[in-house]
Amino acid sequence: MFEARLLQGSLLKKVMEALKELLNEAAWDCSDAGIQLQAMDNSHVSLVSLNLRAEGFDKYRCDRNLSMGMNLGSMSKILKCASNEDIITIKAQDNADTVTFVFESPEQDKVSDYEMKLMNLDQEHLGIPETDYACTIRLPSSEFARICRDLSQFGESMVISCTKEGVRFSATGDIGTGNIKLAQSAKVDKEEEAVVIEMQEPVSLTFACRYLNSFTKATSLSKSVQLSMSPEVPLVVEYKIEDIGHVRYYLAPKIEDEEAA
Amino acid sequence: MDQQGQRLITSFFSKPRSTSSAEVVKGKEKNAEVRCTDESSVLPGIKNCASDSPAKKANKKVKALESDDEAPVSRKNKRRKCAVSSSDESEPEKEAIRKKKDVTPKLQSAHKLSGSTNDNSTTLFEEKEESKLNKKNVVLTGTGDKCDSKDEIKLGNHELYNPGKNNYHPLQDATWKMGENVPYMALAKTLELIEETSSRLKMIEILANYFRSVFLLSPNDVLCSVYLCLNQLAPAYIGLELGVGEGIIIKAIAQATGRTADKVKADVSAKGDVGSVAEASKSMQRTLSMFRPAILTVNSVFSKLTEVAVMTGNSSQTKKVDKIHGLLVAAKQLEARFIARSLAGKLRIGLAEQSLLQALAFASSATPPNQPSPPTQLNCFQGLSSEAIKSKVEAAAVILKTAYCQCPSYDRIIPVLLREGIAALPLHCTLTPGVPLKPMLACPTRGVGEVLQKFESTKFTCEWKYDGERAQIHLLENGEVRIYSRNQENNTSKYPDIISRFQSWIAPSASVRSAIIDSEAVAWDTEKKTILPFQILSTRKRKDAVEADIKVQVCVFAFDLLFINGESLVEMPLIERRQKLWNCFQKVDGQFDFATSRDPQSIEEIEEFLDESLKGNCEGLMVKGLVKDATYEIAKRSKNWLKLKKDYLEGVGDTIDAVVIGGYLGRGKRTGLYGGFLLACYDENNEDYQSLCKIGTGFSDEDFQTHSDFLKNHIIQKPKPYYRFDQTLSPDHWFEPVQVWEIKCADLSISPVHRAAVGIIDPVKGISLRFPRFIRIRPDKNPENATSAEQIADLYKSQDQIKNRKIEEEEEGFY
Repeated sequence: MFEARLLQGSLLKKVMEALKELLNEAAWDCSDAGIQLQAMDNSHVSLVSLNLRAEGFDKYRCDRNLSMGMNLGSMSKILKCASNEDIITIKAQDNADTVTFVFESPEQDKVSDYEMKLMNLDQEHLGIPETDYACTIRLPSSEFARICRDLSQFGESMVISCTKEGVRFSATGDIGTGNIKLAQSAKVDKEEEAVVIEMQEPVSLTFACRYLNSFTKATSLSKSVQLSMSPEVPLVVEYKIEDIGHVRYYLAPKIEDEEAA
Repeated sequence: MDQQGQRLITSFFSKPRSTSSAEVVKGKEKNAEVRCTDESSVLPGIKNCASDSPAKKANKKVKALESDDEAPVSRKNKRRKCAVSSSDESEPEKEAIRKKKDVTPKLQSAHKLSGSTNDNSTTLFEEKEESKLNKKNVVLTGTGDKCDSKDEIKLGNHELYNPGKNNYHPLQDATWKMGENVPYMALAKTLELIEETSSRLKMIEILANYFRSVFLLSPNDVLCSVYLCLNQLAPAYIGLELGVGEGIIIKAIAQATGRTADKVKADVSAKGDVGSVAEASKSMQRTLSMFRPAILTVNSVFSKLTEVAVMTGNSSQTKKVDKIHGLLVAAKQLEARFIARSLAGKLRIGLAEQSLLQALAFASSATPPNQPSPPTQLNCFQGLSSEAIKSKVEAAAVILKTAYCQCPSYDRIIPVLLREGIAALPLHCTLTPGVPLKPMLACPTRGVGEVLQKFESTKFTCEWKYDGERAQIHLLENGEVRIYSRNQENNTSKYPDIISRFQSWIAPSASVRSAIIDSEAVAWDTEKKTILPFQILSTRKRKDAVEADIKVQVCVFAFDLLFINGESLVEMPLIERRQKLWNCFQKVDGQFDFATSRDPQSIEEIEEFLDESLKGNCEGLMVKGLVKDATYEIAKRSKNWLKLKKDYLEGVGDTIDAVVIGGYLGRGKRTGLYGGFLLACYDENNEDYQSLCKIGTGFSDEDFQTHSDFLKNHIIQKPKPYYRFDQTLSPDHWFEPVQVWEIKCADLSISPVHRAAVGIIDPVKGISLRFPRFIRIRPDKNPENATSAEQIADLYKSQDQIKNRKIEEEEEGFY
């Protein structure tokens, strides 16, 4: 028996938005510690890792470890049926081939439930090594979304370079060049609006804008976002979800050919 | 840089493990052991496969983690013991262990010595997974054993495959093992090498070496390999085509590499080759894994392509994109190049079917495919002189090519070749009704004189050369009738009328159970009892025609009989074949006839007959030997058949001077130049240039260069307001009217898209040239002096075919 009750139903809806552009289907691994999801997009360029801890739920019960393969398109359709204020409960029997979503209105006067078929997915679980990144940059998530959107008009890839002066995002294309430079914030009165840079060594990497733009679909989950970079390893874009977990995106850097460099 | 690039997610993270929480502890222990042995052994393979930074990275981390290593080492040692005792387990991984049983002791000691290094690099990922309790068996990568010998280390690293090396050893130099599927990379490397080679003999040798390995190691993959080399999916007569346009491929490349379709498209037009764009795009975006979803095998690529081809119906285009996308994701750079080219329908390695057959012949004489395992004859050429080798290969090639011509289906040839060897082919692969053979083709001649020279002392015949479609009519033993085109496509559904009438053409006196007739199907005017031009025939429905709806009637003109009642006639001289044809079949008015023929003696007779044929709306004459050199030479453009066409003859057909007004960008080797041009004639009355034809033949490479250089200086952004053309013909670049070219053509015909002489012959349609060929630039003429619309109209009217029709029309008061 698996049951997870989430008071803020809108959170799950937002998580869904953050996943469905990159993934068509994914396995939700439930254990007594919480819910985890890890999947690569179908081009194997990026990886999404979602973690929702058990204590973040209003009620959480997981008798046996369970892996539920879901079609995210269908799941998104179902979650669209929930209002933002609804309380959402996810339920499944052990070894079941369906999962049930229950939506309760805050006044408890309306309860709807939706049952969805599960699918068999070939799972590839990747061990992600803990890495000490050469640079970590924290910035407001809306700022990051804006940067990605603006720069993707210029070209299909974006260079992120971090130096001790600050971080620079740039893109070059047919119409010209765009550069956005952020310096470490001086004021610290509102922590989530700050730009914080920790750097061991300068790093400059190139990434495909398309994926970055997909990552920013998670903007509504968190006020700030953290980018971690080291030379020659994937970028990590992390959105912390308050009190419950995080969603992390890993993106393989592009290899620059000489002419573009 | 070549090795850089494409990586999947696990090149950064550890490789895929499936989660299974139900795993029992004991099984876990065992698996862990297996892994520890394997990992140490797989490691060199990993390095080879990745051949880029992850290996370095791993090393770095090894150092970083040195302090952690003691505990894992002791743990592993324990497990190792347990595995040796249980190494007879029947799990698949265990088999791998069993195979290298003799290696195991060595391995263990190696472990003790270098153990810390190996174990360390594995702990990196293991630690985490073990804590998750969710690991299972490792995907065996096929990289196999850790052995000290160089050859073994090369196993599994398919990027090192080199079929071009001297003294190629079909077993040792292959990078895959007996019984395994051939990795697609091996084929891709072979094709790449062939592409880089200019000597045809060397190309054949490279391909042959590849096949020698495949013969012995993975005979099941020979057929797929052959088809992939030829860019075919099935015998031509089955008519299975990919149905993938460039747009789909571009879309899939964009999706698989995180680029935008526009950019990919721009690259494609700049480079002129989808393959290299796919390769470059793959190398620009890393992916996150080293162990791709699976190593692509020749077999899997071929079956994926077949799946793409058979996909039809609702949203099949999207599904095709998805399939191709999946293929490209799994592909490494070089593989991506050839997959994209296969999809685009052009391999561009400069190796056609004849060379492939030659290579197969070479391969099967060097390393006979039909030998017991383990193979004993690895290289039959050892110690032979080069002449001896050459004659051996030639003999095999003749057998193979003959078999292929009689039975152009690798589906039938390859199994026989593998089972019984090349010598058995003539027994098993013979002419069969229902399997189209390659038709015999004719060589062009310049004049009647040449004909006499060739057939000076022998008997020969002249037949009218009908302007229709070659039709190979097969009568099967079961009474079924099939019709195949010149390219072995199945045209049966195009001609239901022929099928239903066929039985009535058989002479009542002859008993015909099965037959293959070579003939020409020609559009026929039933009222006037004349032949109609080819253009009319081409308006017929191509597939699934219904007999009742047919407007254009055809008449079949038979000229050869290749097979009758179970007996192949191809080795007989024409005079006998023709006699049999005449005996077995009968003329039926307006439906079936024998090609009009005459056996002339003198030049005058030939010329007279040629004139007659032109008046009879034919293209010219076919001249064939009757007795000597008169067998049916399948698939050959033989000197024994000559075609005498009016446009080959001097004096027939005037040249035309046309103005260049547009250019089409070239592809392939013409990338960066113009590959075709739009020509126009000048209409003095309206003072405008009317499009006349597209032209792309008759140019030397040098011509293309000079034209492109010259015309680049005369590009205009928009067509001049006085250019008359159809939108569908819009060239990539428009030019000022500056240059006049002299061209020659086969025919003039009414065209719905060209505008020349519009309003003179037909109120809305113009005239166009058939088969235009470039002769030279006319510097002495300025564009206003080019052939005028009126002249074009006159030329059109003066053609014999048109003259004939005009007279009839006048007589009947048509129009």
